[in-house]
Amino acid sequence: MIPAWLYYGSPLVWLIFAGLALMMADAFYPVTPEPISTPAQRQRRPELAMITTVILVVAGSLSFALWFAGVPDHAPRLFGNYLAVDHLSLVMDIVIVAGAVFSVLLAGGYLHEHEIERGEFYPLILFTAFGAMILARATDLLSIFIGLETMSLGVYTLVAFRRTSPRSAEGALKYFLLGSFAAAILLFGSALLYGATGHTDLVGIAEAIKTQHADVMLVIFGLLMVIIGLAFKVSAVPFHMWTPDAYEGAITPVTTFMSVAVKAAAFAVLTRVLVVSFSDPLTSSTATGWPPVLAGLAAVTMLFGNLAAVVQSSVKRMLAYSSIAHAGYILIGLVAAQKIGAVGVSSVLFYLMAYTASNALAFGSLILMGSHGREAVSYEDLAGVGRRHPMAALPFIIAMLSLMGFPPTGGFFAKYYVLSAAVQAGGGMVWLAVLGVLTSVMGAFYYLRVIVYMFMKEPKEGAPIAIPMKSGYVVVALALAAVLVVAMGLVPSYFLHMPLEAAQHLMP
Amino acid sequence: MDITLGHYLGLSAIIFGIGAIGFLTRRNILIQLMSIELMLNSVNLTLIAFNRWNPGNHAGQMFAFFVIAVAAAEAAVGLAIVIALYRLKKSVQSDHADSLKH
Repeated sequence: MIPAWLYYGSPLVWLIFAGLALMMADAFYPVTPEPISTPAQRQRRPELAMITTVILVVAGSLSFALWFAGVPDHAPRLFGNYLAVDHLSLVMDIVIVAGAVFSVLLAGGYLHEHEIERGEFYPLILFTAFGAMILARATDLLSIFIGLETMSLGVYTLVAFRRTSPRSAEGALKYFLLGSFAAAILLFGSALLYGATGHTDLVGIAEAIKTQHADVMLVIFGLLMVIIGLAFKVSAVPFHMWTPDAYEGAITPVTTFMSVAVKAAAFAVLTRVLVVSFSDPLTSSTATGWPPVLAGLAAVTMLFGNLAAVVQSSVKRMLAYSSIAHAGYILIGLVAAQKIGAVGVSSVLFYLMAYTASNALAFGSLILMGSHGREAVSYEDLAGVGRRHPMAALPFIIAMLSLMGFPPTGGFFAKYYVLSAAVQAGGGMVWLAVLGVLTSVMGAFYYLRVIVYMFMKEPKEGAPIAIPMKSGYVVVALALAAVLVVAMGLVPSYFLHMPLEAAQHLMP
Repeated sequence: MDITLGHYLGLSAIIFGIGAIGFLTRRNILIQLMSIELMLNSVNLTLIAFNRWNPGNHAGQMFAFFVIAVAAAEAAVGLAIVIALYRLKKSVQSDHADSLKH
């Protein structure tokens, strides 16, 4: 008989030990001798991307298996009371693993093409995904902090991966400084919550608030600081300053990972903290609680993210601002969850799924458009590429339509569920839905601009012409993401099933 | 005069404030890192003070140990990034890192 912690913790245990083994294997990997190879050739590790993908797929399958084997209603805990194995954490496992698989596959093509292949990339992705999975199942302020830092330290390193590039180092520095600042704020909030309630576990905090054993002022300040700390991680305006620089400085596969897996884990923990600990009327009423704060954040995030994306000349930076804007839409679902419960939470989870596939597709298409030594970054780089290489432009079109929220793609139903959750919540929420629709229209401008440049513009005289790269890894990643995006648009109810069940278990 | 919980909380709030202001106003990355350490240590002080006055469990003390350990890991990664940047830019001023558009 397997012990319970090993059974319920199998995805985590597998991922961390496989990651360590991969790191060791890479260290002992035979290198081609000096005279017959250039330094870049000696560094080549073509199979590592494949091995890492297999490791991640196994981790995802373990989570799937746990889901179908059934999780007891009382949600078993791992390592004392620190991690919960519930439906929410298993759904998030799958989203995080999917994000990691996409970025590993894209990296398999990208690192090779641009000759920056170094083995440490893949173990780092595994460790970061591990941190994200810890974060998604953390049920204690301490495990939230540890998960957040495990994830963030990995991402800081990944952003600095191209260490000979000043842009990469600069993006990493800005991310690191603001990320640690945010972590310190989150910690101070956690300390205040501990002081106010005498507990660090989320359920204990909820009990103390309910039985009025908590100091109200400390709870409110602590909650506010925890929200600010997590808002940094989901890059909600006005805590988004690091996002465009870190996204632009990082190599594109890392940007993919940051914009999907890291953001998804941060949203999962935000949902869990607010729904489990702070659903008491004291902290969740419209007058004194978190919903108005989050509604305000959502509104400025949507407005600013979309406005700033319009004026960008770099597609990568535009996608960074678009990811800020999408954080705003996800926050709408979270605010609605306070009034309508499970439906709101499930709209958040569905949005994260659809957004993971769409954004991986968008960044993957951008990777596909660049080949050796020349990456496609700006709109100008994409000029005319659609007419010269129609097949290479196809995934980009699907990605843009999905991010825009055009049926029949996953992005459409993601927006639809979130906005209809806001309308169902009614009252002071409808204006948020209206604002969401208006800003989506603004979004259409810059997403369509990509398509316009690909098909209706010609490169300027003498400007270098983008040539799509040839890589099996990238093609597989794009095909997978495109199929998911379209499938979520055609049969959304099928994909909504898991988020809905997870949400119902989280808030019965 | 007795030292009460309020004194500890006041002190840690002041240290946290000094750290936050230092982080936001100084432009030397190393001083910004030191400011973050100040903020983290003020959190430790808060946690331990709360634990001393609510000795129901030892979550606060334990939390402080983890904060110390993670702060060390964070400093290691941060300094590595600073070194990478210094090799490329020959500067540890954060406003010299401005090649990405604002």
